Amino acid sequence: MTDKNQKENIDELSFEEAIAGLTDIVDKIEQGQIPLQESLDQYEKGMALIKRCRTILQQAEQRIEKITKEQEGQKE
Amino acid sequence: MVKIALEEKLPSRLIVRGEISDWKHHSSGHCYFSLKDAGGVLPSVMWASKFRNVKFSPEDGMEVLATGYVDVYTVGGKYQFYADKVEPAGVGALQLAFEQMVKKLKEEGLFDEAHKKSLPPYPMQIAMLTSESGAAAHDIADSIHSRWPCARLFLYPVPVQGEGSAEKIASALRDLNRRRKSLNIDVAIVARGGGSLEDLWAFNEEVVARAIFDSNIPVISAVGHEVDTTIADLVADARASTPTKAGVVAVPDVQDVSAQLAGFRQRLTTQANTKATAAKQDLDIVLAGALFKNPASLVQNAGQQLDELSSELAETMRSMLLEARRRLSAGYEQTVKIEPHRLLGKKTVELSNWHNRINVGANQAINNCRFQLAAQANRLTAMNPKSVLQRGYSITTSKETGFVVKTADDVNIGDLLITELSNEVLIESKVTKK
Repeated sequence: MTDKNQKENIDELSFEEAIAGLTDIVDKIEQGQIPLQESLDQYEKGMALIKRCRTILQQAEQRIEKITKEQEGQKE
Repeated sequence: MVKIALEEKLPSRLIVRGEISDWKHHSSGHCYFSLKDAGGVLPSVMWASKFRNVKFSPEDGMEVLATGYVDVYTVGGKYQFYADKVEPAGVGALQLAFEQMVKKLKEEGLFDEAHKKSLPPYPMQIAMLTSESGAAAHDIADSIHSRWPCARLFLYPVPVQGEGSAEKIASALRDLNRRRKSLNIDVAIVARGGGSLEDLWAFNEEVVARAIFDSNIPVISAVGHEVDTTIADLVADARASTPTKAGVVAVPDVQDVSAQLAGFRQRLTTQANTKATAAKQDLDIVLAGALFKNPASLVQNAGQQLDELSSELAETMRSMLLEARRRLSAGYEQTVKIEPHRLLGKKTVELSNWHNRINVGANQAINNCRFQLAAQANRLTAMNPKSVLQRGYSITTSKETGFVVKTADDVNIGDLLITELSNEVLIESKVTKK
């Protein structure tokens, strides 16, 4: 599971995915059973995820977009 | 005549209170029933066009107030009450209709907790289904923009009261669900400001309830004020008592989430530092150890071990050699005791004797045989028929047959004869006379 996550581009994660990954990493590191090198790698990854979350939070949309009903057969 | 009399005596508009009995909703849409009270029974009819406006379901036994007029049903020759409006006697029609719908949908399980979806914790695409002109949309937008500005907010304008509004609301919700791929709405808010039961009626309609129930997108219902509860509120996955509160229900507070992120950062950093420090301490301990201080000791220890082993080995070899020598010595002693050289001498002589004896014996045997052989050879020679030839005798054979001629009958005159004389000389002759 962790390997698959590492292959995913962090920049493409949704907020929910990023924060879930972050929670995982912090829990794992705090449990203390990881060897030194791996815990340093996880630290780096954790920091990257935090950065991603901050980036998402910082975007601010102040407008309201309008949706209208699609006509039959209209392409999306 | 009766008709005219009635028209004169009775007011053109009557409100009758009574209990419904024999209620029949004909396939034509017209309703036929009776209104009863202690005093009597009034046959009644309500045309489909009027009944359409009745929001609740009249049933036998229900106490109602019916507004209409009395007239004669000329075909049957009886008077009837023609109801234009009918209302439940105790509570309002709408209220009753509401209670009936709640009961019906509750029994079907539309309000069950088990069917409610959980709201997404960090929604990024939020849709509002509400009136474009009303205040609800702005209230929600303000709330969301201040709490969770990173989300995209959409407005799907719908009429929130009046004819056909329920159908439009339901249709909008189904539309959003259909366009999941292109729009990808995380949560939908169905909203309307405050109003009377009539104003809010669209949100009590069955079609809206079913659209909310069927929605794969989680739905928050924010209809009316604190005191109002609509069926939409009961079916929805979450409800808010006002549009502003809907913003609180729908999204987290960005400050809280930022603080959470800061917390994670703190924990990560602490852990990394702790681990690095611990690792360094471990390293320091090792470096401070005796081995690192005096690496030569490792070699020296090994050297000493080697020496000890070598000594041991040498010692072992020595004692083994000593033992081997001792054994050899003992063996030698034993062997010498046997006086092998003397023994050898004795045996050699014996062997010599035997050798001689064999030789002698063998020679004698051979000589014997020679004598015998000679004797027999002499005898054989003496018997050799051909030695007779030396004495003048000869052997005559027929040239033709090769047989020896013994008598005159063996030959004929003219035959050729071969005669063997001594020394294997052969002469040939012819028979001339017998």
